[in-house]
Amino acid sequence: MIEFKNVKKLYPNGTLALDNVNLRIEDGEFLFVVGESGAGKTTLMKLLLREERCTEGTLIVDEFNLNSLSNFKVPHYRRQLGVVFQDFRLFPNMTVFENVAFAMRVIGEPYRAIKRRVPTILKIVNLQDKHKNFPHELSGGEQQRVALARALANNPRIIIADEPTGNIDPKMSLEIMNLLLKIQRKNKTVIVVTHEENLVNYFRQRVVVLRDGRVVEDRIGGMFNAEI
Amino acid sequence: MRRYSLFYFIGQGFSGLWRNGVMSFASITVLVSCLVLMGSFGLLVYNIDYNLNEMSTLNEIAVFVDQDCSDLQVADISNQIRSLANVSEVRHITKAETFEQEKQRLGLDGYTELFDMLEEDKNEVYLDTFIVSYSDNSRVSTLEYQLSHIDGVTKVNCHTEVAQTIEELKNGIILVFTWFLVILFVVSIFVIMNTIKLTVYARRQEISIMRYIGATDWFIVLPFVFQGLIIGLIAGGAAFIVEKYLYNYILNLITADFNIISVILFDTVELPLLIAFLGIGILTGILGSSLSLGKYLKA
Ligand SMILES: Nc1ncnc2c1ncn2[C@@H]1O[C@H](COP(=O)(O)OP(=O)(O)O)[C@@H](O)[C@H]1O
Ligand SMILES: [Mg+2]
Repeated sequence: MIEFKNVKKLYPNGTLALDNVNLRIEDGEFLFVVGESGAGKTTLMKLLLREERCTEGTLIVDEFNLNSLSNFKVPHYRRQLGVVFQDFRLFPNMTVFENVAFAMRVIGEPYRAIKRRVPTILKIVNLQDKHKNFPHELSGGEQQRVALARALANNPRIIIADEPTGNIDPKMSLEIMNLLLKIQRKNKTVIVVTHEENLVNYFRQRVVVLRDGRVVEDRIGGMFNAEI
Repeated sequence: MRRYSLFYFIGQGFSGLWRNGVMSFASITVLVSCLVLMGSFGLLVYNIDYNLNEMSTLNEIAVFVDQDCSDLQVADISNQIRSLANVSEVRHITKAETFEQEKQRLGLDGYTELFDMLEEDKNEVYLDTFIVSYSDNSRVSTLEYQLSHIDGVTKVNCHTEVAQTIEELKNGIILVFTWFLVILFVVSIFVIMNTIKLTVYARRQEISIMRYIGATDWFIVLPFVFQGLIIGLIAGGAAFIVEKYLYNYILNLITADFNIISVILFDTVELPLLIAFLGIGILTGILGSSLSLGKYLKA
């Protein structure tokens, strides 16, 4: 369970990015976060990743209180999350297999376990035939699927995707979204930040709308409504 | 640490070395120069010490006793000399013995008659002498002073100027080289620090991804520490080879030209030198990388 309670984020330069955000996300939920550019969507993700800290209010993720989580424990906390970015952020000098394997190596998994698990994950994202390729040999959609596979490698409870389809053509975007839903059905919480109207309206999931750092709408089966 | 991870860190260390080839080469070169200078200086001092010890077996102080002293007083002086610090051996040469020595030395060339005449007056002409050997070259002036202040001693003949000059020279060399070395090590560490910093900068993207995946600071930092370690190891090995050839080259020159100097063979110092070079190399490498990462780790 993720809970934002009266969360406020004031950047040192004086920008109020989030203002009194209250949000409760249950385990296994699928959630779109939408809003115009500068609305505070990425800031919300950064708070969840504990890259930034709340200025006021509390943020709790399962057993972790992010307000009081020490720097020392941050790596351990982040292993509960899988992250996907708009620009993929793959290691360019590693193959598809190695990119996914690396996430497991980072947390000290033995090589035997890595060899067993990586092919299974690559199958989920339908990339089993590309495991020897390097990122630059893949299309945008394929690269994002590698990133998704890497996010899944350590079996996280929560998947966070910040504009995952921003750099991908529409057909591929649909495929990525379908994959994310498939992952949600495996009982993971999935949070997708996007400003793509069509996708949001197509899938009819819970939608949280941010404007100027405030939650202005939060509806299950919601639509992207630019008027709000 | 798992073997799989260890291979990863070593591999990353080499890859960092390779990716910043020019800076890595510069680090290694500076460190090698530093080590070779330190090694040469150490070997020089070691050789000087070795030669000084050889010389000190020749170094003796002649102590002459006053003409008027009785046998009892001479015996007392002998005891006083023996009780001094730094005295390893005392040999007493009586007036009669001195006379005999001189007679042997000079008597052959028609001076026989002169010595026959002196025979009766030898106690008035010759002095009792003590030949004092000492163990520590560096404290010889103290000994000389103490000897000259014993009651009944008229003269102290000390032939230690050469040894003392060498000793002073050695101390001068130590002082100059110590400062030189301190500066060189600071430069080495500085160059390594910058090499590592550049590598970290080149990899900042990867590091940020690693942070998102949940890598600990150690996992992120260890490749750079290994990079420093590898720089140190390579520099230590290279410095050893350079030192070996340099030393043997100089050894050949010296033994050909001055055979009065005894030079230690490289074989006898080979192992300790190798261990010292590798040890100091590794230490400098790790220190250099740790210093450049210290700030980063806190963040
Ligand atoms: N590191 C930062 N320092 C200062 N201001 C920032 C920083 N990051 C974002 N902001 C500001 O906070 C607001 C919200 O930004 P962001 O969360 O990136 O919005 P979104 O992802 O919805 O486009 C914007 O006004 C942005 O300029
Ligand atoms: Mg954003």
